[in-house]
Amino acid sequence: MTRPYLALGLAGPHLIELTASRSLLARWDALPLAFSVLGIDRVDGSAPAATTLASSAVGATLAGATRHGRFFVTATPQRDHPYNIARRVASLAHLSRGRSGLLIGVRDAYAPAGPEEAPAWGGAGLGGGTALDAQTAFDAARAVRALEQSWPYDTIVGNRETGVLVEAHRIVHVDLANRFSIAGPLNAPEPATGASVIAWYAATPADLAPTAEHDPIELVLGAAGTVPVLPLGQEPPPGPWAGLVLRAGLEQSVDALLDTAERWLAEGLVAPVAAGGSLRAALRLPAPAPLAATARAAFPVPQPHVPPSHPSGRHP
Amino acid sequence: MTNKRSGHVLLGINVLVLGYLPAAWKTPLLEKDAFINPDYWANLGRAAERGTLDALFLADGPLLGNPAHDANPIRLEPTVNWGQVAAATSHVGLVATASSTFNDPFELAERVLSWDHQTGGRAAVNVVTTRGVPAARNFGLPDIPQRDDRYERASEFVDVVRALWASAATGQEVHHHGAFFDIEGRLRVPPSRQGQPVIFQAGGSPQGRALAGRVAEGVFAAELTKDQAIAHYKMVKGLARDHGRSPDDIKILPGLLLSLGSTEEEARRRCDEIHDAGPASYSIGWLSQAIGYDASTLELDAPFPEEVLGPLKNSQTFLGSIGFRESIVTQIRKTRPTVREYLQQTRYTGSGHAGFVGTPEQLADHIEDWFHAGAIDGFNLQPDRLIDGLDVIVDELVPILRKRGLYRHAYETQTLREHFRASAPTAAL
Repeated sequence: MTRPYLALGLAGPHLIELTASRSLLARWDALPLAFSVLGIDRVDGSAPAATTLASSAVGATLAGATRHGRFFVTATPQRDHPYNIARRVASLAHLSRGRSGLLIGVRDAYAPAGPEEAPAWGGAGLGGGTALDAQTAFDAARAVRALEQSWPYDTIVGNRETGVLVEAHRIVHVDLANRFSIAGPLNAPEPATGASVIAWYAATPADLAPTAEHDPIELVLGAAGTVPVLPLGQEPPPGPWAGLVLRAGLEQSVDALLDTAERWLAEGLVAPVAAGGSLRAALRLPAPAPLAATARAAFPVPQPHVPPSHPSGRHP
Repeated sequence: MTNKRSGHVLLGINVLVLGYLPAAWKTPLLEKDAFINPDYWANLGRAAERGTLDALFLADGPLLGNPAHDANPIRLEPTVNWGQVAAATSHVGLVATASSTFNDPFELAERVLSWDHQTGGRAAVNVVTTRGVPAARNFGLPDIPQRDDRYERASEFVDVVRALWASAATGQEVHHHGAFFDIEGRLRVPPSRQGQPVIFQAGGSPQGRALAGRVAEGVFAAELTKDQAIAHYKMVKGLARDHGRSPDDIKILPGLLLSLGSTEEEARRRCDEIHDAGPASYSIGWLSQAIGYDASTLELDAPFPEEVLGPLKNSQTFLGSIGFRESIVTQIRKTRPTVREYLQQTRYTGSGHAGFVGTPEQLADHIEDWFHAGAIDGFNLQPDRLIDGLDVIVDELVPILRKRGLYRHAYETQTLREHFRASAPTAAL
């Protein structure tokens, strides 16, 4: 039987503990894990812990301070907008060289409730907002995926002869109109490693994401998915799991979590996933389908620019 | 010079991705996708720390301008971008621009305080209200709110963010019910090592300056002339005093567009070469949005017509920066250039932000002059091309300023707020 891969689930206090310690970061970076979830308690229905950090801030630290470890940041549309989420997701993917992904959640355990009539994004006070439910989170995930794809990486040509840096006519609007209305494009290119992996959390079948054409959800964590979450202290369960997320409790330390992960890997209870490389490659996920060829171009075809050879003839 | 100030200036770098000139990407020193390469960004941070610089600054907006010939419109998200740089640095301050219009204050407060924690207290947020329809359409709005509404919102936004930052230290819930936001909650992020992240403000409109006087601790100003800069310095410090604050609590750092060379001629040649390597339509396009008038319809060899220089017909709907427009119109009225002459001159003198083309020695003279004249607390330097321009600042300008007693030889403070406090007190007002 194929052994499952190992992933780690970090709650709020663990994010602080991990990033404050160079030795913990080095141990984490050296482990052949599939990934770690940064702030799983933000989206798994837990009560908020006494302390936490914004997931993307931790991701940025890991992007700069480590070289191999892969991670999912967590975000929800409760007090966040998909355009802003997509910006952070794409930026993290660039700066971590593809080691990052997004675990999209329905509710944010650490955020105060928004207005009753529009609890998702309505707290931003812009007159918009929508329902706080799985459909909104799903539509946010669809927006993040489309936005990341709106500016293909291979449009960056840097042609010094023609003066064209980016083939901007191949950048497209996303023109989304579901729970969110978003024109796009995103203001950063698609990561060189492709659009970021997007995951979902489902403890029960009732928590599963809606399904639709162009489903952006590529991985489901939790008992209703393919990668269950296991409390630290239990041994790996038998079963046809693709992977396991080992999650430390609030009273347990990152040090203890890494001890167990190191032991399980040493004893062959879980399968190592070679350190380094993109999250998508580590999970052996295919590249998502590109945006429809009918998408509206955001910019005209760039005109070549040849610098003047005679300064006196130059246009100012 | 009378009334010489003691202490040192503040030096920041406005990192306009690859540099402020559109053709900065064309140098063979850069890979074609340097702007998304983590090593490019980490190296900028390390270079800044070699020069013991105070801060790195990133502009931002939730929209994409046309990147066909220019890396400037490309925007990695600043808190993430600087978070990665923070891991490669230990002292330099990091300023992230954020929109008060297109963020939820709770999410932004939590994210900025988290990022500040990760930097060890080196974070600042530059609050802007964001202009332009393309940004609005990324958030389901047909257009942006009018200027007064944006600034009223910005004012309440900053109050909510600061209250939430305070809640991280006290553990007390925030109960805020205002015109724009209702928040019942608190942050669970560890409190900031610098008390709270530093707040910057960059707008030059009356509403922007009023906000700065009330809450900002750093102002990224746009000044073309020393006299204008002195007047605005006194005005904004005075506004701070009107709000019961010390003038030392708010630091004024105008932008300064730079081309440096070992001789003045070499600097001009560099400036010309990088200008000429980019499309001419960029300068016309920039001027058009800055003055709120289609400059491509103007006769290039005639002076600017009066209708272009008059008061704005509607400042509420004007999409440019009022501060930039004011400084540009003042400059044009002063010398009455033709449009062609203006565009040519502003290569060397700047437009909106002041420009400087010359040697590091001459730049040190300029900084010293404006500092002692009471026009600045420091400058936010904007090199034409960072990959080789930043090293000149760090390795040539900074040593001159150190010799003159205008800059520190090593970091003596840790957080950005401490860097600010360790700089020279306010000039005589």
